[in-house]
Amino acid sequence: MWTRKAAFTFTGGIALILIGMMISNNQMMILGLALIAFIVVNSWISGHGDVEVQRTLSADNLYKGDDLYVELLITNRSNRKTQLLEVYDNIPHEMKLRSGLNQMRLNLSPGESARIRYVLRCPLRGHYSIGPVSLRSRNTFNLGVEEMFVDHHSDIVIFPQIKEVEEAFLRSRTPKMYTGATTLRTPGQGSEFYSLREYVPGDPFKNINWKAYARTGELMVNEKCRDAVTDLYLLIDSRDIARIGTVLKNPLEMSTVSAASLAAFFLKRRDSVALGIYGEKLSYLPPDTGDKQYFKILSALAGVSAKGEMPLQAVTNSLSGRFSRGSPVFVISSCEGDGTVPAAVRDLVGRGHEVTVLSPSSIDFERLVSRIPRMSYEVLKLERQNRLTTLAGSGAQVIDWMPDMDLSQALMQVRGY
Amino acid sequence: MAEDVQVQSDVTITGSAKARTLHLKTLRKQWQIITLQIIATAALIGMYLEVVSTYVVGTIDHTILFSSIESLIGDDLPLGDWFTGEGRTGLSRFFVPLAIGLIVGGLMALVAYQTPKTQQRLKLGFIITLITLLVGRLILGWLTGMIFSFDIRLPDDGELQTLEWPLLMIMSLLIMFVYLLPIIMGSRGIWGLSKKSIAWAIGFTLLFLGIHAILTFPLIKSQLGDYGGALATLESQISQPTIGLFGVKLVTSEQFGLILIAVLILVFQESAFGVIKYLEYAFRLPESCKRDPEYVKQMDNMLNTHLMHTFGFLGLTGVATMVALGFHSVLLSLVSDTTGSQWAGQVSESIELSLTYGLVISAVMFLSFMALFRYLIPWQRIWGFTYSLRNNTSSAVEKPEKEFIEFQT
Repeated sequence: MWTRKAAFTFTGGIALILIGMMISNNQMMILGLALIAFIVVNSWISGHGDVEVQRTLSADNLYKGDDLYVELLITNRSNRKTQLLEVYDNIPHEMKLRSGLNQMRLNLSPGESARIRYVLRCPLRGHYSIGPVSLRSRNTFNLGVEEMFVDHHSDIVIFPQIKEVEEAFLRSRTPKMYTGATTLRTPGQGSEFYSLREYVPGDPFKNINWKAYARTGELMVNEKCRDAVTDLYLLIDSRDIARIGTVLKNPLEMSTVSAASLAAFFLKRRDSVALGIYGEKLSYLPPDTGDKQYFKILSALAGVSAKGEMPLQAVTNSLSGRFSRGSPVFVISSCEGDGTVPAAVRDLVGRGHEVTVLSPSSIDFERLVSRIPRMSYEVLKLERQNRLTTLAGSGAQVIDWMPDMDLSQALMQVRGY
Repeated sequence: MAEDVQVQSDVTITGSAKARTLHLKTLRKQWQIITLQIIATAALIGMYLEVVSTYVVGTIDHTILFSSIESLIGDDLPLGDWFTGEGRTGLSRFFVPLAIGLIVGGLMALVAYQTPKTQQRLKLGFIITLITLLVGRLILGWLTGMIFSFDIRLPDDGELQTLEWPLLMIMSLLIMFVYLLPIIMGSRGIWGLSKKSIAWAIGFTLLFLGIHAILTFPLIKSQLGDYGGALATLESQISQPTIGLFGVKLVTSEQFGLILIAVLILVFQESAFGVIKYLEYAFRLPESCKRDPEYVKQMDNMLNTHLMHTFGFLGLTGVATMVALGFHSVLLSLVSDTTGSQWAGQVSESIELSLTYGLVISAVMFLSFMALFRYLIPWQRIWGFTYSLRNNTSSAVEKPEKEFIEFQT
């Protein structure tokens, strides 16, 4: 395809020839002919050689906020030069270039290769695809241009960030044995004996093994095997309302971060974790343990988007039959725009589940993007407090999670639950 | 897979090796860039001298204008003859002004690289010098005269006459500036990396050619009387071709001069703009890319190709224009040889051919054939084949790895 320069040169050439003919001026005609000849000679070379593109990523999965190293290898597989070739690697607009550049102008000889290296920052979770690679070839004098692309994609999953959760914040009040629970070969609170160890200040006196003390003369305490909490259920609200706030700070983002962090924490303790995401539809990942489950949970959380209007009651109605008896349930929801939340929570508590409602404060997220009059804010805040109080009255542990509050800090509100 | 990817870096084994970078400071000293700038300058000088020798020398050159002014004022102009070239003959009248024009352009380019503050000071200094030159003597003489005579008065004739020399000097310099505008602006554009100046140089040359063409149009020329008679006209088609290729005479020497002007304009334009284009690209690259050997290598490749194409394609453009202009004679001799009729001879002497129509139609026909060759002859395969023969690379072969070993930072 001709460039603007070629079009102007051609038009200028024709115009000069015609004017030269009109006024019988040789210089104009010859200049015009030279311009046309310039275009004709340059048109002999067009396109580019056969180019092969190969992309290598530093990882297939990353956590939100991490850096991704990308290397693009371009090789000229043909027996001709590529001409002036602009290579542009299309990256998702959510990712930001941190170092290097995702484009290069090159001119490769036959068999020659060039490497483009760049680093991307991934500030948003999700499933992304890098590519295709756009190619634009020009001749040296920029008279002809051809655009095409190599359909080469590299998929990458950006998981939500994992925040550190301290053991103390998520300790069960009383060790319980639930259906299907197994003792874990790790020390902790439980009922079965694990081992003897020396007394350290702070150990409860009831754990002192007096017989061992009588035998050895040193204070020894009994350590118990930790009982697995077995199944932990995480229910995440991904309704349309969860998008309130900025792209990086909204209830859904905080929900995914908290769900990922809790899942990581419990799975590390070898508990089973189940995940239910409701919004436009309900997707449910049955409880399981191990790294595979961890990966499944993170993948599911990476793909969550705010859509739909599904009420919590519908979720609990369909899932409560699958929940193990007495197992803890985490409901991560702003509790806005869903009148069924109290009933659903009451229902779960009634079935013997220990329910914790982790509620990102959507009013405060809304304040990040729009100005809410002080009076309206106070009223809305009061309404929210009433809603949360109702939930607490239903027997659930309720955490009011403010946007600037760290997850550990938020969990402290139910310390020792 | 992950371990294959490394950070962009110019860290070397010793940690102190100086890799080439694409910083403007380094790039401006690169031989390809300097060669392109020299080519552009040579093309500019060649174009200017060719235009001047074809249209200006002996007809409307500055020495004739200066002589006319000197005879009008009855005195010599302040600029020396060594400067203006008066007294010399032919193109040599332009040699010293040309050199001065190049120096002025170079100085302007040098000024363009200074900091805005220095530039401002230099401009201010220039204006103050000009004002001092213009009215300095007058004010000095007038004020001292008033002080010594204890009188407030207007400047007398003797004092006002001190204005004559500076005014004539400025006028002479302005005339020289107009004549040397393409050279001054062109050299400033090439070495000072100014697209605007390059456009000025080309634009002014084309404007001159256009105005000259209009003024030499027979109808207008006749209206100009003696002035019109002084303008140089070219009867390039009517004379016999003397210059050609492979024994075939294609164009007259006048036509060759005109082709040379056209090709030199193209060489100047493409080389000068090319330098700016590549430097702009390098400037816009982020710091990490400027230090990346891959980018440096590809910049070398692009510049080498540009140099080769400047000679190859623009040379071919000149040859193609020559052949296009002589194509009618080739066609006619072909017809004459194959049919043996006198028709070809009659046509070649016809007024239509000498008045350009036939010539242009045959030239455009030739260029159209050439354009079609793109589809008929696989140029790219041919060039690829010759390239592989030259480089002994019959198949695509991976080149060895980079010269620097990189470490992850």
